[in-house]
Parts: sequence; C-alpha cells; structure tokens
Amino acid sequence: MYWGGNPAECHPRHFTKYTLMQKSKFLPRGRKDRTMILVDIRETKSGGAADIFLQIRPGKDFEVLTILRAILKGQHVNESAIAETGLTLEQLTDFIDRAKKAKFGCMFFGMGLSMTRGKHMNSAALLTLAAELNAFTKFVAMPMRGHGNVTGADVIMRWQTGFPFGITFNRGYPRYNPGEFSTVDVLVRGDTDAALILGADPGATMPQPAIDHLARIPTIVLDPKVTHTSRLARVHITTSVAGISAPGTAYRMDEIPLPLKPALKSPYPTDQEVVRRINEAVARKSHWIPDGGPMTILQR
Amino acid sequence: MIRITGGKIFDPANGINGQVRDLCIDGGKFVSSVIGGRTIDATGMIVFPGGVDVHTHVAGGSINFARAMTPEDHRRTTAFIRTQSRRSGLGGMAPTTFATGYLYAGMGWTTVNEAAVPVLSARHTHEELHDIPILDKSSCVLMANNEILLDLFEAGDFERAKDVVAWYICAAKSYGVKAVNPGGVAAWKWGKDAKQLTDPIEGYNRITPGTIIGGLAQIIDELGLPHPMHLHCNNLGAPGNVWTTLETMKLLEGRRAHIAHLQYHAYGGDDWDTMRSASAEVAEYFNTHTNMTTDAGAVLFGDTVTITADGPWQHLLYKLTGRKWGNLDVENETGCGIVPYTYRPSNLVNSIQWAVGLELLLLINDPWRIFLSTDHPNGACFWRYPEIIQLLMSFDFRKECMTKLSPIARERITLPDIDREYTLYEIATITSAGPARALGLTQKGSLGIGADADIVIYEEEKDIAKMFSHPRYVLKGGEVVIEDGDIRATPEGREFIVKPAFNPDIESFLKPKFEDVYTMSFENYPVEIERLEHVEVRDCIDT
Repeated sequence: MYWGGNPAECHPRHFTKYTLMQKSKFLPRGRKDRTMILVDIRETKSGGAADIFLQIRPGKDFEVLTILRAILKGQHVNESAIAETGLTLEQLTDFIDRAKKAKFGCMFFGMGLSMTRGKHMNSAALLTLAAELNAFTKFVAMPMRGHGNVTGADVIMRWQTGFPFGITFNRGYPRYNPGEFSTVDVLVRGDTDAALILGADPGATMPQPAIDHLARIPTIVLDPKVTHTSRLARVHITTSVAGISAPGTAYRMDEIPLPLKPALKSPYPTDQEVVRRINEAVARKSHWIPDGGPMTILQR
Repeated sequence: MIRITGGKIFDPANGINGQVRDLCIDGGKFVSSVIGGRTIDATGMIVFPGGVDVHTHVAGGSINFARAMTPEDHRRTTAFIRTQSRRSGLGGMAPTTFATGYLYAGMGWTTVNEAAVPVLSARHTHEELHDIPILDKSSCVLMANNEILLDLFEAGDFERAKDVVAWYICAAKSYGVKAVNPGGVAAWKWGKDAKQLTDPIEGYNRITPGTIIGGLAQIIDELGLPHPMHLHCNNLGAPGNVWTTLETMKLLEGRRAHIAHLQYHAYGGDDWDTMRSASAEVAEYFNTHTNMTTDAGAVLFGDTVTITADGPWQHLLYKLTGRKWGNLDVENETGCGIVPYTYRPSNLVNSIQWAVGLELLLLINDPWRIFLSTDHPNGACFWRYPEIIQLLMSFDFRKECMTKLSPIARERITLPDIDREYTLYEIATITSAGPARALGLTQKGSLGIGADADIVIYEEEKDIAKMFSHPRYVLKGGEVVIEDGDIRATPEGREFIVKPAFNPDIESFLKPKFEDVYTMSFENYPVEIERLEHVEVRDCIDT
C-alpha cells in the first residue's frame, strides 16, 4: 500500500526493484502474487500500477486512518464521519479485510501524508495502524524519503548527536527542537550570521524570508552545479559529484548504506575534502568554549 | 613510558590478588622495566586491568533506531560539552557514539564487543564503531536466521554452510557469530515465533531451532573462531523458559558456547502471574558444564530502551506495555525490535528479573565463566555497572534493596538466601579477565608483560558504587585518558576482526543467490577493508 506518494514518478525503481515486480521464494509469480492499494487525493501515474485506488478528500488522511483503526478493532463508525472522507464503508471494510488476510503487508507513505494537514499526526496514525495490524498478520510501514542522501544525513546526525535534524549546538552540546532549530526557522528568524550549504538547494525550495536571509549573510555553497542558492551565495566552491566522480556512501531509504563507486575522475575536490580543509583552518582559531570549563552538564 | 608504583594489583589473568607491584609501560604494552618517563604514584590505590564488555549494543542500525525513538530521554540526560579536544554528545539510555566512548572509559572499561550486527548493515556499524573514541572494539554478525544459511541446513549441505558462514564473517569484517532466537526471527517474517527446539521452523520442513544451534556451534568450532558461538536462546523473557534454556545447554554438550544475557532465560512458572526465579536450576547445570561461558544480562530498576534482533519478543513487549514500538526486518538475514521500557520494583516480573540477574552472578561459582553485563541497554545502561558491583560485593546492601520488593516477589526468588559477597579479585575477573578470555583477546584483561596497557586505578573507598564510577586514572594503550575525573585524551580505538578460511568457489554459489534474494548487488555487499581504521586481524584457533 502506498499512501500520499507517487513512486511511479518520484521513486521510479521502487515497483520494479523492491515492491511489485520481483519474483521470490514465497511469491514465485511476482506481480500476480501481490495486491497493491494506492491511497491519494488524486489519480497519479502510480494509479496505473495499483489494483485498488482509494481517492480520499484532501486533508482527510487522519480521519481515514482513524476510521480504519476503528474498523480493525470492530468499533462502530458514524456514517457521517465516513461520508466526509470521500470513501464508502464498503471500501474501508474491504481495505481492512484484505490487510488482515495478507501474509505480509507493507505500507509506504509519502509527503502527501506527512506534509499535509495533520503532518506528524498523520504519520503517527499510519504507523499505529501498521502496528495494530500485527495482531492479525505481519505488517510494516516505511516513509518514502526523497532528495539524494537525506537518509544518510539523518543516520549520521543520530549517532553523533542523538537527533536526526532540527539541532542546535549553541550551548556546546546538541539540542533538538523541530520548528525552532530547523534550518528554515533559524533562517526566517534571522538567527544565523553565516551559512554553509552542502548537497541542498534551499534557494529553490525554502520560503522567501529564509532565502532573503541567506542572501544577506555570508553564504558558502558546495555544489557541483550552479544552483539558485549558489547564485545568491558569497562563495561557491565547485565540488565533484558523489557517485559519479567522487566516492562515498549513500544510505538507502531503509537505512542500508551503499558504497558509491565513481566512474569518472574530476578536477574538483570532493565535499569531504573541502569540509576537512575548512575544519583544519577553524581548528587553528581559538575555541569559543575554553578548555578547563565543565566537562558535562546535567540538563533539566 | 609510564611507571605505576605502589598500587595494589588485582590481575586474575596472572593470579595476582592485591599484592603491591609496580607496572611499567612502553609502546602501549606492559614491559618489565622502563627508564625515565612519567611515574604515577598509586600508593594505596587499587589497580585493575581495563574493563571488557562481552555483550553490549553501542553501534549500528538498532541502537541508532533507538536513539531516534527516544528524543525525550536525550533532553533529560547528561550532556558532554564540546571542547577543542573532545566532541559533544549525550548520555542516557542510548548514548551517542562519542559519549559512549567517554562514558565507558570514564568508568574504566576499555574494550567492548558489539553483540549484534546484521551483515547487510555492517558498513554502518563500522562507521559508528569508528566514532566511538578510546575503546577497542569487536563485533558479532547475526547468522541464525539468515535464509541462505537456513536453506543449506534444510538441504543438509553442512560443508557449504560452513563456507557461507566464513564468507559472511569476512564480508562483514567481523569477529564472531551471534545467534538470536534461532529460527524465531525468520518465523517472525510470517508473524510467528519459534518456541520449541524440536519443532520445524515456519517456512521450512526439516530444520528446527535445535538443528540451527547445533549446526552453527559446530561450524564455529570447526572454523576455529576465537570467540565461540554467542547465543541468545529461544523464548527470551518468557515465564517457564528455563526448560528451553536447559535443553539448549544439553544440545551444546561437547561444543563451545557463550550464552548471552542468561538472566532473561532463567524463569520458572507457567505465566506472568506464576513466574518465579529458576536461576538455581540453571546455575546448577551450568556449574557442572565447563564448555560454556555466559554473561548476566542483569536488570536494574529504572528507565531504559530495549533493543534486540528478537523481533517477535519485541512485538509481545509492545503489546504488554503499549509503549512505542519499532520493528526492522533486515531482508533475509535477521530482524530487530525497539521498545522503551521501565523496570519497576513494584512490578512482580521486574522484581524477579532484578533478582535473577544477581542470583546467577552469585550462584554460578566460577567467575571465569560468568561476566558482568546488562545487555546494554536492555537490562540497564552500561554506565550503571558500578551499582551492580556494589550489589555483588555487599550482602547488606542487597538486603536493603530487597525491602523495596513485594512479599510475593521475595517468595519467588532465592536472592535473600544467598550471602556470597564478591571480592575485588572476583570483580576484576567478571569485568575484565574473564570476558577477555571468552572473547579470545589474549592481550586484554591482563596486566602481564606484553599485554595491552589498559589499566584502571581506583582510589579505595567505602562507597563501592562511587569508587567504581569514578576511577582516579584510566590508561588505554599506555596513554592516560582519564585523570581526576577529566578526559585527558581521546585516542581512536582499534577494531578486531577474524578472517576464517573458506573455499573461494563459494562466491560462485552465492552470487546468483544474491540476485534472487538480496536488494544489494553481490559486488557492493562486502565491507571494504579500507573503511576500517586501526584494524587488527586475529588468528583463528585450533579447537
């Protein structure tokens, strides 16, 4: 089941390599042995691959998920509540019946679920549905991540700081608060007086006040290409392309690391080399937290 | 060059029990004498070999998943502040990598064994291990639910299975083999478990948990891995599981084995209401069968997060607690589950678990065969080891703690009747010399000439927990890393690996299999040796 995502266009290898077409020991006929349900607010190219398409009203994801959980637990659901979702009781009951009968169910959810009305509450509702289905059969759920190696950034920030994103080090140790310390919030508030941009193009995607602030402060961009952000940056360092002319590691959506093996040579340095040299130069400056201060602090 | 003078030496590997000796260090190792260099006056202090943790979860996909699931704990815990010589980090239930190194070393532990690594994500684990400073590390790969291996067992192709195991260890750049709930994690892909050692596993006709355990133990002995099979038995955590544990131990007669976190496998009774301690039965059998070692997997009351490859157990724990649950299925290799958990003295089951861990440590009479562990972070976090040492060394303190338990709980345990108190020599054995020997790391856990100069020096004091929490000095590889409660140096640690021999033809068998069952190409799968820094390849042994 895919919810609020369009893998046919956004993750074009997902059906063929992972979820639908592969033949396997227990699913020897490949696609014929699987059932695919797509849930979205409009029909996308992914609909062509689906056995069942459930078109829900925009902004009603949380309600649909909650009704599905109620049906799973055999609770009564008001007809008026169902009518608002754009689906019928038959469709919803059929969904649950099929899910319970499945030998192994997978749910994938995209930004159509996680970034629309309800946001993380929607993701939580879907994850809870998947968890509760395990009372009947095996079920798992996974977000459909985007943008290159965003998973790798998450994974490494977690082992080094405990948190995936939205982190500040302004007290000398990591603190986490999405909505306060997320890049976009820090920029919109004008809380930063310099920016180093790596593997991203916020000039193309962030709200205008954030972009305005990036243009105001010394912004340094490491990117193989000219981008919206590099145009407004004070410094653009051209780097080689990871996976094409630079080695490295990319974490797959399921957090499995894959080695990147470059096919070409590049006259440009890698991101890693540039950051290493910046770090070396910074290390020669005096440190803003003097040695001899407290080693640890008990939060709270 | 360093000379440590006047300390009372506790070095079980060399039979030294509290005698005053000088230690000389040069080139990171103990030597017979040095001229010049620093002298550390340890007069009146207690000198131990650096601690060795035989079973912990500090790096890789599972602990990193646990970090993601517990941000609320990170913000109430100790934070390490960045300086020019030290990285920042957070302690708590699932510490960050840098903090893990500081916390272990700060307590005097210098070597750890990461006990559960899926080969598929071994590359990730090594990257995290590299970011744990100071400590030397080894790791065990998860094998007992690998479907390629199970298929070979099903077909009775033992020789090829042996080559496959050796190939996987080399591919993962690992040190040993871990078996978690053999067959049960594979069955979890069907939403099932494997509870009987003699019943066929879901999805298979012939093989049972028993055949996997026997087969893997034989393979590991024949390959001559320095660390025996590291086994997490079936039926972890379940009331009455003592019978599974004893049956498993009987299966292993004539084989080497390390039984992990034995506390979770020593319960009597029929259900949660009738659960009782069965540590006496387990200890009695274990005491007379010297082919095995074990670690306690002790529990302390308080908050923690449980992480294990035992997927079906974690689903049960989620249903019992209603708390957050994370599940990872690692393709055809293994699984993983995460559930935050609070052990409470008011809870009957938790009380029994707390007692069983201590009972096993006290009833198993050979300190060379049972080691201190909490199965970090499952039973408690590793930085709470000093509390367990205090419980082991003081009967009075145990009695005081037992007053918190309910009368029903006190009837279900044998702890009140055990008055054994550990000596410092025995503590040095279960925290360092014993686990080092079980891991086959001959240069660890010893203060003898030629061994790695990993040392912890305590200032003797009455409060045992305080003494073991705050060593005066810790030396790693001859370098002073902790002094007077401060981190003085953060050298990078080494990684121990083994390279067991295999028939190279096994690659032509595995390659087409990969195209069928893996989502990663065969060429990308093995971890490149260049990714590991400071590698030390250990020899396989003649068993």
